[in-house]
Amino acid sequence: MLDANRENVKIHVDHLKKSFGKLEVLKDISTDIYKGEVVVVIGPSGSGKSTFLRCLNRLEEVTDGTIIVEGVDITNKKVNINKVRENIGMVFQHFNLFNNLNIIDNLMLAPNMLKKCSKKEAKERALEMLKKVGLVEKAESYPSQLSGGQKQRIAIARALCMQPNIMLFDEPTSALDPEMVGEVLQVMKELAADGMTMVIVTHEMGFAREVADRVIFMDGGYIVEEGTPQEVLANPKEQRTIDFLNKVL
Amino acid sequence: MIKILTVYGDMLLVALGRTILLALLGLFFACIIGLFFGILGVLKNRVCNIISQIFVDLIRGVPMIVLAFFVYFGIPYYFNTIIGGFNVTLSALQAGTICLALNCGAYMAEIIRAGILSVDIGQMEAARSLGLSYGMAMRKVVLPQAIRTMIPTFINQFVITLKDTSILSVIGFPELVNTAKNVQANTFMAFQTWAIVGVMYLIVITILSRSAKVLERRLNVGR
Repeated sequence: MLDANRENVKIHVDHLKKSFGKLEVLKDISTDIYKGEVVVVIGPSGSGKSTFLRCLNRLEEVTDGTIIVEGVDITNKKVNINKVRENIGMVFQHFNLFNNLNIIDNLMLAPNMLKKCSKKEAKERALEMLKKVGLVEKAESYPSQLSGGQKQRIAIARALCMQPNIMLFDEPTSALDPEMVGEVLQVMKELAADGMTMVIVTHEMGFAREVADRVIFMDGGYIVEEGTPQEVLANPKEQRTIDFLNKVL
Repeated sequence: MIKILTVYGDMLLVALGRTILLALLGLFFACIIGLFFGILGVLKNRVCNIISQIFVDLIRGVPMIVLAFFVYFGIPYYFNTIIGGFNVTLSALQAGTICLALNCGAYMAEIIRAGILSVDIGQMEAARSLGLSYGMAMRKVVLPQAIRTMIPTFINQFVITLKDTSILSVIGFPELVNTAKNVQANTFMAFQTWAIVGVMYLIVITILSRSAKVLERRLNVGR
């Protein structure tokens, strides 16, 4: 997958390894993620897919290997990771909205603290993002007053307020009631259509089939198989992929 | 009772004022000490964690009356006599403030540490993922939420500290208990004197608890 067209590579992962104590979670991961690409990572629980995602913005320190995000080697300890993170939005399984702030302040906190723009611009952008996810009327509400689906849409809007070039999604619909999954996936589909580079860990096979440019199947700390949804989901080559898909589909 | 109030009332009120002053000074420095060692206790750094734990264990393991004698008599003796060449003197107020600050600070450190740990790790991760530094995330996201859960325990600690000022009567600071001893010695009316003193503490502590409850309710917006 190491393409010659370096300029379009947003994230370059080279022989990534990650251990928690003696437990080796990621054993040897190499891949490139291209500009505008929607990559969906699937795999059984414990396969390391969330850990892989969390390494991409250094929420987990890697044990070995290299990750280059937009030309910056984030495995280098001297790199100011905060600057890199400003350009990588992340959405979590449990939303993680700031419970002490209302919705509009949730959205404006990072842009204001990091002086990305004037307060007025931050507010305008926050309202624009709320409109995008269809929750303008919730601007003054607190996270505790929202449903799960609404919280996750706000979490996406909050990440977008930093105008990131890359978005990471860590099982964004796994903690939602079934009837709320659709509204969150809809926002993600729109984002993909806008050309956002996205890496998504999910169990939503339908979404993967419909939206992904590439599907990565992980198991046991390795990438077992990757390719278009057609290749991986419809015609898997590896026995482990076949077994996994038989269980979830 | 009436005689004590008319003759010694002003004196007891002034003494109560000193008790409150001592408690406020002690609490002020205790908050700083507690915040410092509390945060040291949650940093991802073994050395910092151990320093915090040693401080807490040390102070918590010594009765405050011993700490009071040690600070008031022991420290000046160490500098002036054992090492020699110094002329360290601590007023009873200074020594009392140090004792309260250290004692209450150790408990506050544990309250703050536990409060910070009670905030879901996801809050910190979400803030960091947006590009905020550890300090910014702590200040704007984690601490405000931690403080909410800490308030009831804080109030408890404030009340304990206010009462602990009475222990400092042993180093001669003229706070309420020490003054009341003199009143009792002069009047021989032990029952009335200590009843009055008890009620005085009760009133101040009740006011403190009630206003803290109001504060707690205000801070609970959006919960």
